[in-house]
Amino acid sequence: MRILLYFLPKLIFASITMLGVSALVFLALRMIPGGYADVLLGPFVTPEAREAIAVRYGLDQPLLVQYLNWLGALFQGDMGVSMVTRAPVLDEFLRRAPVTLELALLALAFALAGGLPLGILAGIAPPGHRGGILARLVGALGASVPDFVLGSLLIFVFSVWSLWLRVGGYVSPIEDPVGNLRTMLLPALTLSLFGIALVLRTTRDAVLRVMTEGYITTALARGERPFDIIRLHVLRNSAIPIITVVTTYFGFLLGGAVVVEVLFSIPGIGFFIFSGLENRDYAIVQAGVLIAAAVFISINMLADLAYALIDPRVGSGRH
Amino acid sequence: MNNIVSCEDLVITYQSSNGPVRALDGVDLTIAEGETLAIVGESGSGKSTLGMAMGRLLPSEAGREAGRLEVDGMPVFDMARDDLRRLRRDTLGFVFQNPMVALDPTMRIGRQMQRAMGRRARAEDIHALLERGELDDPERVANSFPHQLSGGMAQRVVVAMAIARSPRLLIADEPTASLDASIQDKVIGTLCRLRKESGASLVILSHDVHMIARHADRVAVMYGGRIVEQGTTARVLGAPVHPYTRALLKAAAGHEKPGEWLTPIPGTPPLLTGRCAACSFEPRCSVSRDICRSSRPKPRTVEEREVLCLLAGSEAERKEVAQ
Amino acid sequence: MFSIFGRIDRLSRFGFGLLVFLILLGLIGPYLPLGDPMRIGAGPRLSSPSWLFPFGTDELGRSFLPRVVDGIRATFLLSAVAVIITAIIGTLLGMVAGFFGGVADQVVARGADILFSFPAILAGLLIAAVMGPGQISAIAVISVATLPLFIRVVRSVTLGLASRGFIVAAQVAGASPWRVMIVHILPNIIGAVIVQLTYALSIGMIIESALSFLGLGGQAPYASLGSLLRQGSAYLTFAPWLVLSSGAVLSAAIMAVNLTGDAVRDALEPLKGRSLT
Repeated sequence: MRILLYFLPKLIFASITMLGVSALVFLALRMIPGGYADVLLGPFVTPEAREAIAVRYGLDQPLLVQYLNWLGALFQGDMGVSMVTRAPVLDEFLRRAPVTLELALLALAFALAGGLPLGILAGIAPPGHRGGILARLVGALGASVPDFVLGSLLIFVFSVWSLWLRVGGYVSPIEDPVGNLRTMLLPALTLSLFGIALVLRTTRDAVLRVMTEGYITTALARGERPFDIIRLHVLRNSAIPIITVVTTYFGFLLGGAVVVEVLFSIPGIGFFIFSGLENRDYAIVQAGVLIAAAVFISINMLADLAYALIDPRVGSGRH
Repeated sequence: MNNIVSCEDLVITYQSSNGPVRALDGVDLTIAEGETLAIVGESGSGKSTLGMAMGRLLPSEAGREAGRLEVDGMPVFDMARDDLRRLRRDTLGFVFQNPMVALDPTMRIGRQMQRAMGRRARAEDIHALLERGELDDPERVANSFPHQLSGGMAQRVVVAMAIARSPRLLIADEPTASLDASIQDKVIGTLCRLRKESGASLVILSHDVHMIARHADRVAVMYGGRIVEQGTTARVLGAPVHPYTRALLKAAAGHEKPGEWLTPIPGTPPLLTGRCAACSFEPRCSVSRDICRSSRPKPRTVEEREVLCLLAGSEAERKEVAQ
Repeated sequence: MFSIFGRIDRLSRFGFGLLVFLILLGLIGPYLPLGDPMRIGAGPRLSSPSWLFPFGTDELGRSFLPRVVDGIRATFLLSAVAVIITAIIGTLLGMVAGFFGGVADQVVARGADILFSFPAILAGLLIAAVMGPGQISAIAVISVATLPLFIRVVRSVTLGLASRGFIVAAQVAGASPWRVMIVHILPNIIGAVIVQLTYALSIGMIIESALSFLGLGGQAPYASLGSLLRQGSAYLTFAPWLVLSSGAVLSAAIMAVNLTGDAVRDALEPLKGRSLT
């Protein structure tokens, strides 16, 4: 009941946000020079085709009516047709989604595996401790080296010295799991550096804040081991800010890590949207942005749900 | 009788961004087995630092600069980590000022009780302990999260946790300051009853003179990081000889006769950066002499209590009492 | 002031020094004897670093070092302009939302949510589709990505302030809402805005260079560090110095901003922590 009452408004707000996003995306594409027919058919359109499209999509009608029609079609899964492949846009995205999902999960796993322990270490290390300094350096580096710089560096290193990992040449994990890992590890590592820094810095700050709380003193006073204090009190109480940034980061990864997918030629969503822009296949850009925002909003709602499960005060009105 | 705490010339300093701050400026104190000692003083007098030092629970920017502190014969500041942990677990029990801060908001009470009691504690044991803490409906309490309890109930939980392993020394830091006035007495009553049952020693850190007068065997008054007057409750609160103790009693509401004025103590406690070379109360003292500005008082026995005042028992001091 | 500088440690001081150095270098670069960034055939094409060409030369035989120095200026300038514009808009919106509450607050808060839902680079692709690639598009993308940061922080700080005694007193005394906001609230949120400003600047620099790297930022002859990287990445395997030098300088610039931001934040809102023994 508590969770339902807390979650319902979140759901409503998320719907409003999604509506706003869709309106913005809709308007943006109507503002493209050359008109919406270009968006649907590409730049080389005969006047007849233009007319046919105008009738079919109701381009002569008021903008609001057009928007509602477009929204209605969206709800039926109709996101238009790719100008290049002539296939429904939604199918094209669904086909590429597993690639991006795999990349995102790998990067997230690296980010958590690297960021959480270092962040906790930095949070509990006394000033001047070597681990704390290392964590600060990793945090500063990770937040500062852009993914395409690190990616370029890795590509250079691994193409000059032919090590086990490969650059480019994506293969499906079902056909060749090892080969798939060989091509996915470098982009996942590249993507994860920022995530490591993000998780590390957030964890450090959250842990530092929790460490000054009274219940940590209580736990020390009853003679708990440091490990138990971290496990029982520190992790749970610092979880909320960590979950917030992790979901934001994961949402960003799922929205298509455009730069890294382009750099490593990974045929995921980000690469697809980028090539959509290059081919002036705007229906793809439109759908891509919409899907990414929807995924982002949904993941954030899951995070809201997680807050309520972790902290019993959330939604109880006594926070 | 054996001493559970003995403390000699203890000096504790905090490193702040503005330089060191000396919170304890040479404390001498012993606490006997089974006695209830109250440590009184304004905030900033060092009483909390002294209480936390007994479990070495000071924040990391605080450190011992000099002196010795033994609890149950163990040198608290020179112990191995595991021994210190065992001392905290088996010998000490802490009750903190605000139970809502002292309890983990994300963990059910029962689980937190179990952590305090040990792995083998069963639900019945937890309920029994809560009942000893005078909590009705222990089952519901054990299943609650801290924010679902009232302040008084939560503090009873903290008290029950503190006595979970039958400690030899209970340290209660302003145990009722965060509670409604109507339940303060009851909670402190529970604490004192449980102490009596277990025969432990109890240290109450408080500025509430009236509560102390009712419950403590002995009183130590702190000022400027030192104990300026200590003796039996009757002697110290009934016939104080240190000007600070007298001022403190005058400033405390509750015992005034009709028409009498409460007299707040002018000024603020000192912020020491090093060893105080004079009487630290001198700037606020109403009877001070030149000598108070130039020499550091040593403990003396005056009228059956130990006092840290150069003038105590002298002619000038008696005059002031007479007023 | 004493205590603020007392808390800044060596790493932060290094970051601040680096930031000052890079900005100065970007500003006075054209007057330094580094060579002409535009002179084609100043040396052999794609020659490796030497005393004459410390960062080597590019595919047109232009000395790369002065091009990188110009790139520093371009990157900082565009990101700073974008972030400062955004900070002003965001502060204004956040104050209005937090101070007036009600409908204004709902509209601004939902607007921030909507902008926050667009992954930055995808917003960049959409804006590039609408406006065409260029510096204005890049500024718009940075604004979309960082506006929610300012709105959210300013809104929550203003909410906290609005109920405080001195604000209420000023209102009771008859001060107009705008006067209260500018005279009483603004000075109290400036610290929080500055902290966000440094983070937004680092995000802005990353976005600007990523867009330029994808060819969606400012177009030639505009050359930021990101466009230099794009230019160099075509020759990554046999002339790696182009990518490595511009990448290293770009990373150093972002790190300088981040470290300075950390120092500002640590000074304004210190976290203490404690040990577990």
